[in-house]
Amino acid sequence: MTTTNTETSHAADPAQGPSASRRFWTWSAQHPTIFPAVLIVLTCLVVGAINTDFWQLANLFDILRASVVRGLFALGVLVVLASGGLDVSFTAIGALVMYTLTLFVVNVAPELGMAPILALAAVAGAGLGAINGLLVNVLKAPALIVTIGTQYAFRGFLLTFIGTALFMNIPAAMDGFGRLTLISVTTERGLAVELPVYFLVLVVAALLTWWMLNFTMIGRAIFAVGGKPDIAARLGYRVGRVRVFAFAFAGLLAGLAGVIHVTANRLANPFDLAGTELPVIAAVVLGGARITGGSGTVQGTLLGVLLITLVSNVLILVGIPSSWQTAILGGFILVAGLFFARLDKVRAT
Amino acid sequence: MTAAFLETRDLHKRYGGVHALKGVSLHIERGQFYHLLGENGCGKSTLIKIISGAQPATSGQVLIEGRDMTGLDPIQALDAGIETVYQDLSLLPNLTVAENIGLSEQLVEGHGGLFRRLDRERVTTTAQRALEIVGLPADRAFLSRPIDTLPIALRQLVAIARAVASEAGLVIMDEPTTSLTRREVDNLIRTVRRLQENGAAVLFVTHKLDEAREMGGTGLVMRDGELVQTVDVGTATNAEIGYWMTGRELEQGRYRASAKGDVMPLLDVQGLSLPGHYTDLSLQVGAGEILGLTGLADSGRNEFALSLAGLAPPEAGTVTLAGAPLDVSAPHRAIEAGVAYVPEDRLTEGLFLEKPISENITMSILERLKGALGLVDRGRARARAQQTLDDLAIVASDVEAPVSSLSGGNQQRVLIGRWLATEPRLLILHGPTVGVDVGSKDTIFRIIQAQAEAGMGIIIVSDDLPELLQNCDRIAVMREGRIHETHDAEALDEDTLYTAIAGAHALAVA
Repeated sequence: MTTTNTETSHAADPAQGPSASRRFWTWSAQHPTIFPAVLIVLTCLVVGAINTDFWQLANLFDILRASVVRGLFALGVLVVLASGGLDVSFTAIGALVMYTLTLFVVNVAPELGMAPILALAAVAGAGLGAINGLLVNVLKAPALIVTIGTQYAFRGFLLTFIGTALFMNIPAAMDGFGRLTLISVTTERGLAVELPVYFLVLVVAALLTWWMLNFTMIGRAIFAVGGKPDIAARLGYRVGRVRVFAFAFAGLLAGLAGVIHVTANRLANPFDLAGTELPVIAAVVLGGARITGGSGTVQGTLLGVLLITLVSNVLILVGIPSSWQTAILGGFILVAGLFFARLDKVRAT
Repeated sequence: MTAAFLETRDLHKRYGGVHALKGVSLHIERGQFYHLLGENGCGKSTLIKIISGAQPATSGQVLIEGRDMTGLDPIQALDAGIETVYQDLSLLPNLTVAENIGLSEQLVEGHGGLFRRLDRERVTTTAQRALEIVGLPADRAFLSRPIDTLPIALRQLVAIARAVASEAGLVIMDEPTTSLTRREVDNLIRTVRRLQENGAAVLFVTHKLDEAREMGGTGLVMRDGELVQTVDVGTATNAEIGYWMTGRELEQGRYRASAKGDVMPLLDVQGLSLPGHYTDLSLQVGAGEILGLTGLADSGRNEFALSLAGLAPPEAGTVTLAGAPLDVSAPHRAIEAGVAYVPEDRLTEGLFLEKPISENITMSILERLKGALGLVDRGRARARAQQTLDDLAIVASDVEAPVSSLSGGNQQRVLIGRWLATEPRLLILHGPTVGVDVGSKDTIFRIIQAQAEAGMGIIIVSDDLPELLQNCDRIAVMREGRIHETHDAEALDEDTLYTAIAGAHALAVA
């Protein structure tokens, strides 16, 4: 069955006979990533039909560039969700790491290169994430509650002890990295459209996460623990370690996301990133990861991120006010909820 | 005697003030069948947990092939060749068949280390080999199916395949046949025999004496934390084993003579149909009569029982209860008309495990317990719950204790008690003694009989043939959505009934 086929049967689902709709659902259950993919195509078709300016390379590059920070966060959320946890502290980790690290580099080691800066961000983020995992293990409390707590704690620590001032002259290495171009194309109108090099950070992170989840013992252990923790423990998986790893991995990506955020915007604002948790979690869920754990794919997550970025960046092009974008996003998430609930039913029969 | 594969010496286990194991010593030899028998709460589960490394013993020794392995953890137990298939099968529902079978090998090799590359090819080949041995398909499509898309009987075989893959010396199976039909049980037994022929010892934890007898081997009977008797299950009678398990004599024959002569008609079903499940069913149940309803799991019997309770509204036909039309379009309507349905799976469909016993018993009759202002009268609720505890001989520390603190048999009685509290005219029991020990079974049967004597109409839906034969007046056998035969239970024997259920060819194959 091809993509176009499923689209038509999706649209005409109630009118179709039981066997066709049954086939559609069974097929979808095996390919849950079809959901964000179809929504992306539909959104593009609608937006492109209303405003033909949409079909430009510059737009694509814009969307890709705007997906980097959210994508890094989302990959972390995916890993935590797959392990059966939930993390809402990643933006606080990102903000704490980016601001503290920028200050540190400017004041202590202004000559530091980009590679060591990224490495420091990764280590610091992983450390903060590991605190989440350890707290979940020690307190035996739900991950949501723990990470709401650490979100406030990390943010409070940042604003109380590190600083509240917006910071414009970021380190030379970060500034330079933010300006490096990966692909540059000159359009017919003579405008240069560019895809920055930091887009590669997302690509590498996605490949690494995909490899980790599918080709290492820890990757399978994450899904095992997310599926049924008590059974996983009985089979010899060390549940506590797996949890700490998942949260540390999310923290690592959040740390990187923080630094990329600074290099992309060329300023460090400690109030940035706060409040962006829900769209990220929504992206992962739209990508097919169940909020109850034990499922999700890197491909689906990236498509979910793309969809969210598309809705929040591109709808302006067709003159849809931003309050409506929120409503559309909400609609997508509700439809996703219905769709995946239906898939679970199909799987169960 | 050569060195046993597994030996325990004087195992003791204390949980706080409870002395759960009181010096258990046993020998397990390769290539043998063992059946661990005993009432719920006798220490069977504790013993299994210690052997499989899930819990340490308080004192005593565990030896595997002569080596002292006391205090082993789950990884060490697996490494030593002890595979445990718990009632939930220890399968990870979201992982694939191949992963469930083949991952453990690499996890155990790495001694639980997680930061290693995974050899996915080897996962596949290991799984394929094991699946072929247990007679399941080993193609890519089956290998990549998530466990939660498989029916329970296939999951059972996948769990056995995992034991095969680990080349286990001892496979422990905790009540493996509880949720299987006869045909599936026969298939399971054949598969387990292959394990045994390959030199593995198999230890069953079971309540089903007849299945144990069919497989043969050594019965290890526990009572109150002690190993009280070792018997040859092939020759020991149910009465003997029951006596060792409970320390008292149990009823083995029928509980009462069939109701004779004219029973007052209570339930009258005419031409009931639910497409895809059952067609044109007609039957009657009299007041004070116990009707058995059996058949294979897909024969439509489950759906028929659900329909009477308003849980699967039929599309055609009429139901009359005590002369008045019975509205089965929704469960609350059936309940109001006097139908009570006790589901098979008490854990997921029936009980609120973390809630107090009293709330579990009174939750269906809150309307009647209303006092002034329409609020539930707590005192009356408590008193009603206490009365149920007394009536049904439920052993509980307190009516406010959570249901999860009770043994399986007592939980089942709480569930039955809840529905008896609604004072139904028709009681439908689905697998009333699944996963319940013989002592509790006896008590539950006596409760059922007493209700019938008092004039309640009762339908028992069950796979447990002795249970049907001991309790019912008539037994209706369903096949492919229709009532195949109806028998008087008094003159019926198990073989005839089994043939009626499965068809003649099934018996020949088994």
